[in-house]
Amino acid sequence: MPKMASGNKVKQSELPETHERKGDRWVAKDQPGPSDPRSKQATTEAKRSGRGETYGGVDAEQNTKQELYGRARRLGVEGRSKMSQREAGGGDRGSATVRTMSASELRPSRGESGDEDQATEPCAPVMTTVARQRAKGSEPRLPSPLERRFEAVVFDWDGTAVPDRRADASELRALIEGLCSLGFDFVVVTDTHVGNVDGQLRARPAGPGRLYLCVNRGSEVFEATAAGVELIYRRQATPEEEAALDAAATATVAELARHGLSAEVVSQRLNRRKIDLIPEPEWADPSKARIAELLEAVQERLRNAGLAGLGAAVEVALAAAQAAGLADARVTSDAKHVEIGLTDKADSAHWAFAELWRRGVGPGLVLIAGDEFGPLGGLPGSDSLLLVPEASRATAISVGVEPSGTPAEVLALGGGPPNFLAVLVDQLERRRRWELPELDGDPNWTLAVEGLDPQLERVHESLLTLADGRLGTRGAPLFDDARATPAVFLSGVYTREGPASELARCPDWTRLAPTPSKRPRIRRQLDLATGMLREEGPLTSVRFSSLARPATVALRAREEQAAVAPRRARRGGKVVAALRNRRRGQAFERLGAYDPEPELARAALAAAAQAGFERLLREQREAWACRWQEAEVVVEGDHELQRAIRFALFQLMASVGDRDEAGVGARGLSGPAYSGHVFWDADVFVLPFFAATHPEAARAMLEYRIRRLPAAREAARALGRSGARFPWESAADGRDVTPASVRDASGRLVPIRTGELEEHIVGDVAWAAACYLDWTGDAAFAAGPGRELLVETARYWASRVRYGGDGRAHIYGVIGPDEYHEPVDDNAFTNVLARWNLRRAAALDGVDPEERSRWLAIAEALVDGFDRASGIYEQFAGFFELEPLVIEEIAPRRPIAADLLLGAERVAGAQVLKQADVLMAHHMLPDEVVPDSLDPNLDFYEPRTAHGSSLSPAIHAGLLARAGRYRPALEALRIAARLDLDDLTGSTAGGLHLATMGGLWQALAFGFGGVRPRGERLLVDPHLPTEWHALELALRFRGRPLRLRIDREGIGVGSDGWKVEQSPDHWEVAPR
Amino acid sequence: MKKVLVALDNSLAGKAVIASARALAALLGAELEAVHVQVDGGRTARGTAEAAAVPFRLVTGQVVEQLVEAGADEDVVALAIGARGGPTSRHPLGGTASAVASALPKPVLIVPPDAGLVVLRRVLVPLEGTPSTSLALRVTFELALRAEIDVLVLHVYDQDSIPAFTDQPQHEQPARAREFLHRHAPHGLGVVQFETRIGRSGELIPLVAEERDCDLIALGWSQELSGGRAPVVRETLARSRRPVLLVPVQPAAERDEALATQLGTRPDDR
Repeated sequence: MPKMASGNKVKQSELPETHERKGDRWVAKDQPGPSDPRSKQATTEAKRSGRGETYGGVDAEQNTKQELYGRARRLGVEGRSKMSQREAGGGDRGSATVRTMSASELRPSRGESGDEDQATEPCAPVMTTVARQRAKGSEPRLPSPLERRFEAVVFDWDGTAVPDRRADASELRALIEGLCSLGFDFVVVTDTHVGNVDGQLRARPAGPGRLYLCVNRGSEVFEATAAGVELIYRRQATPEEEAALDAAATATVAELARHGLSAEVVSQRLNRRKIDLIPEPEWADPSKARIAELLEAVQERLRNAGLAGLGAAVEVALAAAQAAGLADARVTSDAKHVEIGLTDKADSAHWAFAELWRRGVGPGLVLIAGDEFGPLGGLPGSDSLLLVPEASRATAISVGVEPSGTPAEVLALGGGPPNFLAVLVDQLERRRRWELPELDGDPNWTLAVEGLDPQLERVHESLLTLADGRLGTRGAPLFDDARATPAVFLSGVYTREGPASELARCPDWTRLAPTPSKRPRIRRQLDLATGMLREEGPLTSVRFSSLARPATVALRAREEQAAVAPRRARRGGKVVAALRNRRRGQAFERLGAYDPEPELARAALAAAAQAGFERLLREQREAWACRWQEAEVVVEGDHELQRAIRFALFQLMASVGDRDEAGVGARGLSGPAYSGHVFWDADVFVLPFFAATHPEAARAMLEYRIRRLPAAREAARALGRSGARFPWESAADGRDVTPASVRDASGRLVPIRTGELEEHIVGDVAWAAACYLDWTGDAAFAAGPGRELLVETARYWASRVRYGGDGRAHIYGVIGPDEYHEPVDDNAFTNVLARWNLRRAAALDGVDPEERSRWLAIAEALVDGFDRASGIYEQFAGFFELEPLVIEEIAPRRPIAADLLLGAERVAGAQVLKQADVLMAHHMLPDEVVPDSLDPNLDFYEPRTAHGSSLSPAIHAGLLARAGRYRPALEALRIAARLDLDDLTGSTAGGLHLATMGGLWQALAFGFGGVRPRGERLLVDPHLPTEWHALELALRFRGRPLRLRIDREGIGVGSDGWKVEQSPDHWEVAPR
Repeated sequence: MKKVLVALDNSLAGKAVIASARALAALLGAELEAVHVQVDGGRTARGTAEAAAVPFRLVTGQVVEQLVEAGADEDVVALAIGARGGPTSRHPLGGTASAVASALPKPVLIVPPDAGLVVLRRVLVPLEGTPSTSLALRVTFELALRAEIDVLVLHVYDQDSIPAFTDQPQHEQPARAREFLHRHAPHGLGVVQFETRIGRSGELIPLVAEERDCDLIALGWSQELSGGRAPVVRETLARSRRPVLLVPVQPAAERDEALATQLGTRPDDR
């Protein structure tokens, strides 16, 4: 990805606003400034917002009515004699409009009555001459690879978009502005400078799509907006490079002259020198149509000079460049010239595809258009440079003559610029008729499910869940099916009370059709890059839940042969779903918004309707692209693992809101299992990912706890204790909702005591607050609610401990993370966590000195079970006396539910662990455990761990990595990575395991990456297995993004503003 | 008119067989007919049938062959037969019963001599978690539910199938139960009870039947007893004091068709 040269962002337009283009001439304006009312708005945001009238750039106010009518008549506009000047300017978008669509053409025949509207909003009312010809049938149909929607086009200018520099580009301008208004992106890639391109094009799109001008052969990028043209990137040559370019050009001319060939350096453009190989009047300014002729003339001239041809001339220039010290010179030829430069069109292409990806447009959605892909005089065509590796899934077309043919991957369309315009018109028409957007189709970013397997359907629906942090919708088919379990959940909205409380079921916006009469063929694809779900079957559709507007949803469907009537939406219950249905021909569109308050739901729906589907789609792409930039993890060297990681991160990001409060249930918003109850899964397993990548979400998770402090205080009081005691299972109001009993797998009715005894949750909440603070440095939180959390939880521990006759402090009667043993005394993890909690709170400013002293004394006195002789922590008092079973040797496999294998009583009396317990302290509090105690505790506890909790494998993976035990680390990591994808628990049908996903990220970041915040610095102590070439982590530390790359060479930070310092046993990343 | 055929021999088991068969017939909406293959006398068999007011038919020939032929009649929806002659019989499952059950491709009710079934209130349906057995028992499910008979679905984990994770059992168990029923007894969702056990199925099925007061056990099976096959069926039949309805599993092609029908769809054309 090319770095943006710092200091080169220029706000002012590089172009004068003193002239305007009329026809093929530049004419001075009477008044300088933008000609378009929308361009005159005060701020760039306002200009881009789509508000306000626009004439598509036409200077309606400066042109007389007669001038506008004249233009319209030339383009075939009829019936305009009664238009006002403004009307003529508005209808005459960019002087390209032939006619606007009539109302009857915009409204297809009426379908259902009631809440179903017909499409009345005008699509960009552009029908160009080309489109009119197509409508008459005089233009050929497009080849099948083009019979689809694209979301962006990267295109050459001369010969592709325009026949020459003097051609009228008004039709193209209108198309660009029209398509940009519907979210389509344009990237011009040209050798010439911006003045030439924009001077001819003068497009001023108002968004949400964008127009980029990559000019000067890869050295500059401009963006054209309603406000003007803005430089956003420039490759600046050093003085040495400038001198080298001059020297190379001079040497090339000299060498050619030595062969008797007269050549001239004709221009010294930005970062390049241009040498004319045929400086003859006849060939002063040849048109693209004469390219073959030109080439022959040049070749003959070169041969006459004793050179083999154009290739030889390029070789001369290349040699001269290298001799001048330009190691990576870009030497190209357009037949008439040889250019020696620092950049070329490939640089533009790299930038373009990176930028499009950054905005959520994958290469599979991109069209590349040029006219010179095929070889020219034995040299690669200039547009072949657009075919960079990252564009391999893009569709490339040539509209050029291509005398030597085109590369296999380029579709030879021919026809020149008119055919390019025809392609754009086609794209506009597809949007007008509500054609479904495509998915990028990259298998590395796609989860695909074929068919409807009765055994696995509910698992698949969980995997295909669409969520936006607030609303989650399972990926059930749009038609009813007995095997499916569709459901929609809104975060934080529960029904019923106590242990029976559960996330409320919301009206389902995806119920569109009854059960088909025939067994349907269905294919569903979830695009992880953009959060869009495509379903192909009786109702081919694309739908998404808006990350940019949480709890707003959008769907478009295309009904196949036997039309299935969309049903009316159902409303009711605790959550209101405001839905709007619309039809346009065979297309159906539904927008929806959810909220417990009807007015808010309606207002959100109105806002979504105002924006329209295309804008919502654009927002969705960009919002997800932004989130991926913040949080992506790349493992180079394990393709399968990479895909699993991507899936896990997608569902994590989709499951947690970043506004207000976010109560994160164990299964998120993907299913009914665990009833939406909140466990330590959220605080300890999920939150760290967000603290380090998207801290707003971590803050929202903490807000959930903060708002339930009163209930936690009450719970402590009820037990005769101080401070705050958070519940093991939490739901709506912060009271404990742990069920009292369950009939277990062996059929016994067993009491559930975790609600009563698993108190490490108190320290887990405090730890989560500290984790957030360590990553963000949020001073307001530290001084306010964060402080409150730490203090109140410390007070609880202080009131919880009991002093024994030994003068030590003890915590009796708890359940640790290992739930096979209950109750226990002095659980090492609970005590170490409590000790840390006390010390962390004692370190706060403003704590009462007496209370501080007391906390520190308790912390000092708390037993932790550490045995100096062995270096092992005793998991709880008496653990070492239990039956010394080693589950690794006994069990047929691991993970295994050892309580079911051996029986609960046997396990309770044995040294068999459900999950990491002592090792959890090593994971969460590495500074709180004895140095170098990880290895002996891993040696002792790992073989005794059954991993009967889905939380366990990821934690062990990270710890094993830290200990350099890569093979078992990778085994454990893969279990965590595949837990839901392979339904390893047998319960993914009820929802996804968010804690495992969060644990997976922690294993990668904290374990393999060895990343830990310490004050203002990040410590990095990586442990890369030999199978991996590199590990990359996108992070946010202290409010600043960074991308950390760890490979065999060391570490690097691919972001400005950070420095890396090496210490004997680790690296430190600090702000510059 | 549908019939449940009652195979009577000259043993103590006849009364229990008729009583169980009558309860099953009520569920199936069928009449009873007793058949006896005359080997030695037959007065006990006839008398038992007459005392129960069940029509009686006497046939001659090879016992198993004749019973299978009688059972093959298109009106016959099930056949009931005693597991063994009496409570003290040497073999828990008599040769005739096992041979008839293996040969007749219809549900066969194996009745222990001391079975006291009169009224069906609760049926135990063990499911091993395979599509074939699940489909085989679908009709039983539907009939029981229609007759408002309690259905208890039992799944027994063995060493190979013990779950890898328990997580929070108060939530995990119900979630697994829901999904198990979705996969193997979707028509029973929300209506049937579901329990699990850990251990050997043949040992636990009769135990659960006793423990949970089930009147009948319905088992899907492949009709293969030779070569050590169907150990669960064998052990259940040997240990159970409740009648056991053995329901044959269909061949694959028929099963796919039936599965599609069961699920409300027809199979794809292949």
